[in-house]
Amino acid sequence: MEIIDRLSAGDPEKKKYYIRLFLDTLEPELENLRGADVSQAQEPIRAILHKLKSQVQTIGARETHAIMAQQEQDIKSGGQIDQGQLDETCRQLSDLIENLQELLK
Amino acid sequence: MSKHLKVALVDDDIPNTEVLRDFLIRNGYNHVDKYHDGESFLESLDRFDERAVVLDFDLSGGGDLNGLEVLEAIKERSPSTHVIFFSGQDSLEVAVESLKNGADDYIVKSNAAFALVKTSLDKVYDIQVLKLNERRSQRISWMMAIGWMATIAAVALYFAGQ
Repeated sequence: MEIIDRLSAGDPEKKKYYIRLFLDTLEPELENLRGADVSQAQEPIRAILHKLKSQVQTIGARETHAIMAQQEQDIKSGGQIDQGQLDETCRQLSDLIENLQELLK
Repeated sequence: MSKHLKVALVDDDIPNTEVLRDFLIRNGYNHVDKYHDGESFLESLDRFDERAVVLDFDLSGGGDLNGLEVLEAIKERSPSTHVIFFSGQDSLEVAVESLKNGADDYIVKSNAAFALVKTSLDKVYDIQVLKLNERRSQRISWMMAIGWMATIAAVALYFAGQ
């Protein structure tokens, strides 16, 4: 959140604007991840993880970013992630979204 | 200080592009355009004559072209345009390929990435300023040479008429 804090420079409306921008992507993509089937080809999951990991990093959620980067790498190198791993990512993302929504109040 | 360098951000990541644009504007780059796919950027390339492009590799959320294909098209149509590759792929293969095809820099998206993009653009800006100064001093040298030649010719004509 450091970069967003610096850019919004104490302007709460500007900060909310940035948070909404991220939420607009994170919320629908979380639903896509929840609906993903790990028993099928995992390229669509990899694409979502790739897309979200940079955003999660900008927001400052380092642990979630590290997990997503690792899972993306695993799929890219021919491996697979299991349902438990995907659920953990979804849980982390969901917590992050909740925290961001709190900041909008 | 305001930096007169036209910058285009080409990335399908909408929120991060917006944040990066604001970050660059805050750091003196007043003319920053954003494009979320390679196709729309290439359409505008001739019209706007961009000087520096910050280009993502994976543009699959936007269009059909990837960053390397966009880089190839840029170098074909506007070889003097500086291209900074900005990618979430920590891939040596993509890095080598992009630099081989004329990219000026390759930056992996990380916590420090926005600052690295700014540093890379600062280098491009410095090169532009140096080139501009060189052209200016060349022009001044030519004008002085022409001035001297005209003076010598005038003096010669004067004495020839005596």
